[in-house]
Amino acid sequence: MKREDGLLTRRFNKLLIANRGEIAMRILRACHELGIKTVAVFSDADRMAPHVRYAHEAYHIGPSPARESYLVVEKILDVAKKSGAEAIHPGYGFLAERAHFAQACVDNGIVFVGPPARAIHVMGDKQEARQTVRAAGVPIVPGTEPGLNDEEMIAAAAQMGFPVLVKAVAGGGGKGMRPVHRAEDLPDAIAAARREAMAAFGDDVVYLEKMITEARHIEIQLLADSHGNVIYLGERECSLQRRHQKLIEEAPSFVVDADLRRRMGEVAVAAARAVNYVNAGTIEFLLDKDKNFYFLEMNTRLQVEHPVTELVTGIDIVQEMLRIARGRKLRFSQEDVKIKGWAIECRINAEDPYNNYLPSTGVITTSRLPSGPGVRVDTGVFPGYEITPYYDSMISKLICYGETRGEAVLRMRRALEEYRIMGVKTNIPFHQHMVESHRFLTGQFDTSFVETRFSMDDSIGETHELEAAILATLAAHRQGQQASQIVARGARDTSNWKYLSRWERLRR
Amino acid sequence: MKYYTSVNNQEYEIEIHHERELVVNGERYEIDFQKLPDAGLASLLLRNRSVEAVIEERDGFWEVLIHGQLYTVQVQDERAYRLAQARGTAVADGAGDVHAPMPGIIIAVSVKVGDHVKQGDKVAILESMKMENELRAPRDGVVTHVNVHPGSSVEKNAVIVVIESQS
Repeated sequence: MKREDGLLTRRFNKLLIANRGEIAMRILRACHELGIKTVAVFSDADRMAPHVRYAHEAYHIGPSPARESYLVVEKILDVAKKSGAEAIHPGYGFLAERAHFAQACVDNGIVFVGPPARAIHVMGDKQEARQTVRAAGVPIVPGTEPGLNDEEMIAAAAQMGFPVLVKAVAGGGGKGMRPVHRAEDLPDAIAAARREAMAAFGDDVVYLEKMITEARHIEIQLLADSHGNVIYLGERECSLQRRHQKLIEEAPSFVVDADLRRRMGEVAVAAARAVNYVNAGTIEFLLDKDKNFYFLEMNTRLQVEHPVTELVTGIDIVQEMLRIARGRKLRFSQEDVKIKGWAIECRINAEDPYNNYLPSTGVITTSRLPSGPGVRVDTGVFPGYEITPYYDSMISKLICYGETRGEAVLRMRRALEEYRIMGVKTNIPFHQHMVESHRFLTGQFDTSFVETRFSMDDSIGETHELEAAILATLAAHRQGQQASQIVARGARDTSNWKYLSRWERLRR
Repeated sequence: MKYYTSVNNQEYEIEIHHERELVVNGERYEIDFQKLPDAGLASLLLRNRSVEAVIEERDGFWEVLIHGQLYTVQVQDERAYRLAQARGTAVADGAGDVHAPMPGIIIAVSVKVGDHVKQGDKVAILESMKMENELRAPRDGVVTHVNVHPGSSVEKNAVIVVIESQS
């Protein structure tokens, strides 16, 4: 079936994954479970990436920078034609929310596993999105029109009252977004937001929005089929962020009761219906301390944090996306969706929490994943994998499930301890501090918590300086002994290599 | 063999008698130290307390990962220790260098030569991985070198700004 607004649904048996990393693996697994053949694409940097090794077919599409490979529409479509892929799943990031890409797929007779191009376009333009959902009765945060010049914005901010947020019209993921608390900081913030938006999106149009303080970021996961059915899969709590990058997500939320869940869910469904939405999508809301909620934006794609919803609903969101794209009806009604238990996700990033969260690049030398009951790890890295500046710094998503929130938190603490990853600095210590913090344990946090009141200074549990000192000394001692025996060559009748391996065997 | 080992400003004098026993700051410990075939993984039984760690040598230091926490450990044998003592400062200076943690482009520089800065002050903004990253002063002092300007592209570990302490 082909629709006017750029939606094509049809049965398909071979799918191209226009992405990389953990999300490419996630999609690939769903495809293989449904018996769909997979086609991977890869840049120079990703020849040995797991999505290449696990897919049925893989095609090289260019140099490491994404704009020369994963972001080039023509290259992706070429591979689709060459390989005979009948569908494309864009994952998140890259081409996932580019309406022209969705349209190009459909124009080439390829199923785009996502919403109609028109819905991506409307929801991708923040202003048009606000106007559209407001007309559908969805509450929105007060703000200015876009396209005002700096002076007009400064005047508007004075009327609105501080704090305000400077936001890029084309923005996303916190890029081109700046909170401003004092009038004198506004001109600099506008300049920085314009600069960042220009660099990231090639568009420097910004606008202002009233900043809701002590707000939580709560989002509603939706599934919509091409037959007009739309359901919500409950909420995700995503308030723990730093510079608008989510760090920990959970489902359900500490502060959302059944009544609020129903009300937010129904508003989210109305917002999706306003753009004739199809497939998986997420409505992001701000929830203020009086439990008023405001539409922030719609993410017209699969989200990084989708696993927490999968664990508490038992619904495989990626499989459902594939079914919807094949033109099938939803298998669930709203009444079938039941929230059971609690799930928490920690994003493990290559960054140093002890040094202002600076990104860390390098080669992963050791990667031993935690496992056991209630633990899921979605990752695309492996020993030998290099964290480069070409792509984002996420190493993996560590997701834990429990019957209760307490059980999920204890599991997370255990799993973080078990995780052995070496070669780059990671934010595992950040997560360890967080799961020990009183405010996290009692669910008392908002979107500003990580940046304003959270500290890495408080020591957590026991430290292991003595053990570290002993281990390093023993390692140095062994290395020194081996080295000194290797130097004494000639006195031995055999090669140093043989000698070394004998020596190591003796010491097992 | 005797070693002088420091981690997080704590010093340990460690004497290794043989593979099953060592003395730390005068206290005797029974140990069992085994390396796993996996690169870097090691298991230590310290008076039967079990600790698994990843150990790697990097830039002359030992990095030890235990229970999610990464410790950077300096190990000196007696000779190296005495030499360092004789030289006065055990560690070469360079503590005032602001390095690029990764390749990228400098977007802004907020200090100039001669500026007095406090530890934690913003000195430059580096754009990398599509994010603006603030680089901060590692200590109090005076800026003696600024090696970049807005628009400079820098390699990983490039020295961006040098801050000398005034003691």
